[in-house]
Amino acid sequence: MSTDARPDVDAIRVGDPLPELRIDVTATVIVAGALATRDFMPVHHDRDFAQQQGAPDIFMNILSDTGYCSRFLTDWAGPDGRLTRLAIRLGVPVHPGHTLVYTGEVAGLREEGEELVVDVSFRAVGDLGDHVTGTATLVLARRGTRA
Amino acid sequence: MDDQTLDDELAALIGRPVGAPGPSTGPDPVNLPMIRHWAAAFEDANPVYVDERAAAASRFGGIVAPPLMLQTWTMPTPIITGIRERGGSPVPTAGDGPLGVLDRAGYVATLATDSEFEIVRYLRPGDTVSTETVFSAISEEKLTRLGPGRFVTWVTTYTDGAGEVVGRQTFRILKFDPGRAAARPAAGAPA
Repeated sequence: MSTDARPDVDAIRVGDPLPELRIDVTATVIVAGALATRDFMPVHHDRDFAQQQGAPDIFMNILSDTGYCSRFLTDWAGPDGRLTRLAIRLGVPVHPGHTLVYTGEVAGLREEGEELVVDVSFRAVGDLGDHVTGTATLVLARRGTRA
Repeated sequence: MDDQTLDDELAALIGRPVGAPGPSTGPDPVNLPMIRHWAAAFEDANPVYVDERAAAASRFGGIVAPPLMLQTWTMPTPIITGIRERGGSPVPTAGDGPLGVLDRAGYVATLATDSEFEIVRYLRPGDTVSTETVFSAISEEKLTRLGPGRFVTWVTTYTDGAGEVVGRQTFRILKFDPGRAAARPAAGAPA
């Protein structure tokens, strides 16, 4: 989980896989994400309420999804990676007890001045199927490039 | 209400604010305690968010907020007790809002389908964030696995204290009528 590592920008190729991110989802994981994103909707922290709404249990909120997407992407891109775009399609919910696995690969590359612009396609699969599918764009710095 | 009247009402919503008109500003400027709380919740060890020395040595030259915290900065302060008398809304709501017209037409259920962010620049501690959200599209009725529904899209523009755009979010929901769900799944239905 060290994220000080920077990828060798010159060696990146289309099709390169990103390191898998696996999250063992508990109620604590879901509640921690909901509150850190200031989302107090009870379906994300109160099982009784979620069940009254027809869900089997509390479920992960969307701001946590985008949070984990961001972590998955910059765990690979490193501290000099700059995320410029994230687009996700929302699928089936994730509940406590599920395992969520993020996988992805480099889908496109282009040079912009001293920087390398990288398109990534990725998905997060939970126990019920595709939880999130998406694409993102990151700008990676050559050595010495400033933001 | 006939379909033509409904279509006209929905067309009139495009470009109109989703919530209260005018920009609203987040309750606090971008700050390290909330960043640290966020990074801990997602176990995101990217040092540019919390480690001053590592951040100074990075391309950012100093601490930056996680880009996907954009929406978090402008989440309204909740009223906890009773969470809106257990209806589930953590903030006061005036009436049923512009989407009430869809509820009254039978599209009573809601499913979020897409979220897209454009990050124009990373925020730094001390930045203030304001937000304004307008409807950008409402589809014709589509047959989905969950029932007939309409996709509603809105765009949120995030600006800093100088009024410069720092990011945009496009969000799409399906408002659908579960009472008219087909017995068999329709092709192309969202999950």
